[in-house]
Amino acid sequence: MAKMDEAQKAEKIASLQTELTALISAVRTEADIKKKRKMIAEIGEYNRKIDTLKSGKLLSRETKRDLVAYSFIAPNFIGFCVFTLIPIIFAFALAFMKWDGSNPIQWEGIGNFTRLADDVFFKAALKNTIIYCVGTVPLTMIASLALAIVLNQKVVGRGIFRTLAFFPYVASLVAITAVWKMLFHPSKGPINNILYNVFHVPQENLPQWFTGSLVLLSMILFSVWKYMGYYMVIYLAGLQGINAELYEAAGLDGANTWQKFRYVTWPQLSSTTFFVVVMLTINCFKVYDVAVMLAGGGSGELTTSATVLVYYIYQKAFIDWDLGYSSAVAMVLFLMVLIVTIIQFRGQARRERA
Amino acid sequence: MKKKVLSVLLASAMLSTVLAGCGSEPQGNSSASGDSQGSSSQQSSSSQSSSQSTTQSSSATQSSGSASGEGTVLKWAIWDQETTQYWKDIKEAYEASHEGVTVEMVDLGSTDYMTVLATELSGDGSDFDVVTIKDVPGYATLVQKNAIIPLDDYIKNDNVDLSQYAGATDQVLVDGKLYELPFRNDFWVLFYNKDLFDAKNVEYPTNDMTFEEYDALARKMTDTTFGSQVYGAHYHTWRSAVQLFGVLDGQHSILDGEYSFFKPYYEMILKQEADGVARKYTDLKTEGLHYSAAFSGGDVAMLNMGSWFIATMITNLQTGEYDSSLCGNWGIVKYPHAEGVEAGSTLGTITGLSVTKASDTPDAAWEFVKWVSGEEGAAVMASSGNFPAIMTDTVMNLITGLEGFPEDEASKEALNVSNLYLEVPYAPNVSEINSILDSYHGSIMEGTMSIDEGIEAMNTEISKVLAK
Repeated sequence: MAKMDEAQKAEKIASLQTELTALISAVRTEADIKKKRKMIAEIGEYNRKIDTLKSGKLLSRETKRDLVAYSFIAPNFIGFCVFTLIPIIFAFALAFMKWDGSNPIQWEGIGNFTRLADDVFFKAALKNTIIYCVGTVPLTMIASLALAIVLNQKVVGRGIFRTLAFFPYVASLVAITAVWKMLFHPSKGPINNILYNVFHVPQENLPQWFTGSLVLLSMILFSVWKYMGYYMVIYLAGLQGINAELYEAAGLDGANTWQKFRYVTWPQLSSTTFFVVVMLTINCFKVYDVAVMLAGGGSGELTTSATVLVYYIYQKAFIDWDLGYSSAVAMVLFLMVLIVTIIQFRGQARRERA
Repeated sequence: MKKKVLSVLLASAMLSTVLAGCGSEPQGNSSASGDSQGSSSQQSSSSQSSSQSTTQSSSATQSSGSASGEGTVLKWAIWDQETTQYWKDIKEAYEASHEGVTVEMVDLGSTDYMTVLATELSGDGSDFDVVTIKDVPGYATLVQKNAIIPLDDYIKNDNVDLSQYAGATDQVLVDGKLYELPFRNDFWVLFYNKDLFDAKNVEYPTNDMTFEEYDALARKMTDTTFGSQVYGAHYHTWRSAVQLFGVLDGQHSILDGEYSFFKPYYEMILKQEADGVARKYTDLKTEGLHYSAAFSGGDVAMLNMGSWFIATMITNLQTGEYDSSLCGNWGIVKYPHAEGVEAGSTLGTITGLSVTKASDTPDAAWEFVKWVSGEEGAAVMASSGNFPAIMTDTVMNLITGLEGFPEDEASKEALNVSNLYLEVPYAPNVSEINSILDSYHGSIMEGTMSIDEGIEAMNTEISKVLAK
């Protein structure tokens, strides 16, 4: 019995060997590169098969090696799969379904997306989110770059100023929103008091910082102030990576401060700027905490003038239990972030080529 | 060599778990939804059979409880265990009178209680037996999610008299079925600070005031002098505190889809804000000022609020949390009413108990619900100054006789409600309607929208929801 197997095996190896030699000769004459590559891969496959047959083991050495490698990434990958990948895929699918978390899921098709066009609250949330991003991203970038450049000079008390600029980022959001609310309190806050007493703004015209059209401005100012310290640190790292010889050479060529910035600092910082802008954009689209804390009042409910996409996603999902519709809104948010990021990546790639 | 074998084994084990992790999840989901359907039919049949057994004898349920061996444990969802006295009172009283039953309380926090509860009851991983229902939108959600079971069979078999709830249960019927029994029933009254009225030599508010009289009184009490301000009235930021004056005539409801009946009340209150009679909504929102802080601060003459605030006032004055020189001399009167409407018409909020579908011991859970909502539970609630859903004369005397309850006759009379309208009656889409009304209430009160614009927006948006 065993001998028969041996004989069969030898026969099989022989037939594989002849196919292999035929393939090798074919590769030599093949002109098309793509086909050639494919054939080379096939040769490897044949070799492996022959090896397995010869050694008589279940798994070839290559397979074993691969398995060991997979086992190393397995713990992380299992976690990623269960907690990230599957929920993401499920969310994509849910956008086309109707589900309340308990009753059977129903197919909805693109119904969820057509509903969006007719939804006043969604449109308000989308508009507010976009305004917030358009306001926050450039302002934070400029503010943090300016801070970084100033605090990269040899000024007195540089360490203290750097710490101060970083402070808002470290402080708890809840605590500092409470302070902001006190400062900008519509009738008792010091800012409106100054406007009233020093600039004689009549009482009924005092700005209502946390309602109406001003609430977005308050949110933008707040997040610029809170997050500029963090991006300043990133810019500082970028600035310190610039070769001092470049400035020296520019100085010898007679460049003034502005020209040094324009032709040395800015281009040298382009990868840092790219990182900062991408991170900022993503963080801005995700805004939720700032809006709820500044404009939500005690109950945390947002009116149409302050609502943002993530809040609307939360509201639709966990208050109205319309998980499908909420996923559709999440898809819109995802697509927006994706498109903006792709554009930025393209721009960065072009700049690097130039 | 051994090492290699070991590593191969490990690798294959891990790979198989990866595949299992990735592959089985959606399967599990689909089987879960199948399960829940299956179990729902099972559930209903078992509840029927069990309710039959309860008709035979009420002791049957107890024997089934003891048959399981080491007593029954009921898991009960509540909020604010630390600050609310009656949860513990109920638990202790129930355990004392029911041998072998342990009530286990789980505190889900009050701010987003119904949201957390709905999340807990999604899917079939929950082990709650009894859940407290805090508001009607949350109740509607749980009913639609099939998380709680109808109690009608139980009610019929145990001959529970629903008329003792004074019609409140009719306003939360879902397709003719009742999924909760109220154990607490709060209604809105007008709190006032007697010291402020005495200081100004103004007559106290009465149990029979029209809105015009109320508005005039609030204006009379107002003092806008800097440093010694007195606000004639105070309105909390809730929608109920302002727009729901409109539903007291019994002809309108927030489910109407047409809201012009809110207008006179928005006008009255915004005018009061502008004239310094009441604190501004935007200020309150920014500060997050709680109504209790406003009233106990001693500069608010009148506050419309729910009867739950009575227990808070009594306790906090006793413990010294509130300064009794500022607000110790207080009273209550009935809600003001529109011209031609009976005095004593007011808003109500019920807090109920439901039995979950996931419960392993629905009969024991129902016993608990029945007991807490019944007269024994009512007595426990009243002993700490809270308003049970069943108002009997004994209960009423218990509350008005509490130390710290205002002693004048008008305050006692104020507890007699003639018509009770729920803040939010049940409707399938009530959660969405509630969100929309809340949002535009905010816009109107902030001044982002004029009253007409806001009401117009409510009309269009809610008509869309109702048309679905």
